[in-house]
Amino acid sequence: MTAVIETRDLTKAYGAVRALDGLSLSIPRGGVYGILGPNGAGKSTLFRILLGLIRPSDGSATVMGGAIGDVAAMRRMGSMIETPRFPPFLTARQVLEWLAREHGATGSADIPYWIERVGLAEAADRRVKGFSVGMLQRLGVAAALMCRPELVILDEPTSGMDPPGIQEMRALIRGLADQDGVTVALASHQLLEVQRVCDRVAILNRGKLVREGVVSELTTGGERLRLSVTPMDRVLEVLGSRGTQDGTAVLADIPRAEGPTLIRALVEAGIEIDEARWVGTDLESIFFTETGNVRTPERDHAV
Amino acid sequence: MLFDAIRAEGYRLTKNRLQLFWSVLLTPLLFAVGGIAFHIFTKSKGDEMAAKVGLTVAAAPVNMAEALAFGANYAANGVLMICVLIAAAGIYAGDYHWETWRLISARNDRMSLILGKVGVVKLTALAATTAFLIASLVFYAAQALVYHRPMTFSLDGAHAGQFGLLWLLAWVRVIQFTLIALLTAVMTRSMMAALFVPWALGFVQSILGQAMGMFGWEPHMWAPLLLLPGLDYDTLKMAIVQGTAPAVPTAESTMRALVGLGLWTAVPLAGALAWFRRQDLSKE
Repeated sequence: MTAVIETRDLTKAYGAVRALDGLSLSIPRGGVYGILGPNGAGKSTLFRILLGLIRPSDGSATVMGGAIGDVAAMRRMGSMIETPRFPPFLTARQVLEWLAREHGATGSADIPYWIERVGLAEAADRRVKGFSVGMLQRLGVAAALMCRPELVILDEPTSGMDPPGIQEMRALIRGLADQDGVTVALASHQLLEVQRVCDRVAILNRGKLVREGVVSELTTGGERLRLSVTPMDRVLEVLGSRGTQDGTAVLADIPRAEGPTLIRALVEAGIEIDEARWVGTDLESIFFTETGNVRTPERDHAV
Repeated sequence: MLFDAIRAEGYRLTKNRLQLFWSVLLTPLLFAVGGIAFHIFTKSKGDEMAAKVGLTVAAAPVNMAEALAFGANYAANGVLMICVLIAAAGIYAGDYHWETWRLISARNDRMSLILGKVGVVKLTALAATTAFLIASLVFYAAQALVYHRPMTFSLDGAHAGQFGLLWLLAWVRVIQFTLIALLTAVMTRSMMAALFVPWALGFVQSILGQAMGMFGWEPHMWAPLLLLPGLDYDTLKMAIVQGTAPAVPTAESTMRALVGLGLWTAVPLAGALAWFRRQDLSKE
């Protein structure tokens, strides 16, 4: 599996603060790769280094096999960092025409197609001065994609969008990876969105990589049986160290195979069971665990 | 890469019509319209006086080649330079002001991005000085029409050379002035600073030029020629039109003026490039 982005011991220090602290990351070609982390985790710093906006203090990075600043390699990438802004006197179409020239791609950039695809056809000839944040975001995505890049970097691509827009963007990102073969690296605070869209994720915290892997593999681990029972004390006694109280329920940390045996034993012991269901670990709970947050919300699965 | 940057920057400038009008057309238009009004006014006053004294003025021909020489001689005037500066400040500081470096920094190398901007400002300065030459032709043609004088065009090789050199020099002077805006824009990331710092510096330099005597400076000395690009420009102009100018500069002071103007052109450009190469563009 070849990497489209590779960082080795990448460090960015602002005085005593390390925005990135020896980050080594390899983003494989193909699929959607999510980069998660709380504010200040280093996501935007990573993207800014990859785009050549800032220089790393130490370490190295390559994009599409070329070093940062290798224009031939960088031009195989599209990007959108935070909510994009544009010269206010340009129309949406003119923005794309201007950027296509900057990219050396006036012949190959299919501007009408991308204006249509991001849903800006009616506003194409309006000045961007009056655009909403969502419209600017759509235009930024079109700018990132119009030169048919092999890799797209998107920072908070759905920020400021309404729910239908978010859904469209999600479909667009998935379509890019599945149909167009584009590798998408995206950073988002919306964990559910990342879980739905991404194939792999990396979780950053304080500039370091704390967890990385395939989303489906990360989220199938850590299942527990959630029991709404009366009396609760007796169940906790039965489970011992494998049982924890979770509000009005008990969480049993047992393998799925032992579930029916436990339920049978509880019924035989005269315990009333209102509800029993398996709860799995979702990306949100992994995120909070890895970044040191106490909250561990769980996703429910009926038994 | 550089060609892409020039094309992109040029495209963006052409879509900013107000800025283009200010920088390229305003000064020539004011000059041409003002000139026509001036001729009409002086003609009417002259006719009144001639009628009173019974004088007939001979209709001497108007040499349009003189219009070109006049235009080239005054193309780098203060108003035109400030108008070109308006466009230059927008071009040099626009990507900081609109936070658009993040859109283009990955698409081209940094040297090309800056040199592309310089290239477009050079073209803008060329367009503005050319428009001023045309306005000068209009001014002279209006004179011929208002006074019913025939128009001729007589330009020998020597004068054609002088005209070409004066035009080139005016162009360089305008570019030199705008390069201060480039350095200011890169260092301050501010469009306002890019607009006002060169203007203020030019103002101070013109005051210094007027008050050279207070410092014991003579126009041929190194100190004023290194400090005052306007003096360099005037010295070089006099060197080009020597024979007709009252005080022809020596070869030595001409060389000093060339060095002075060269440094005022090269140093801001080199400084801006060096600064920009390592600049953190995430702070827009």
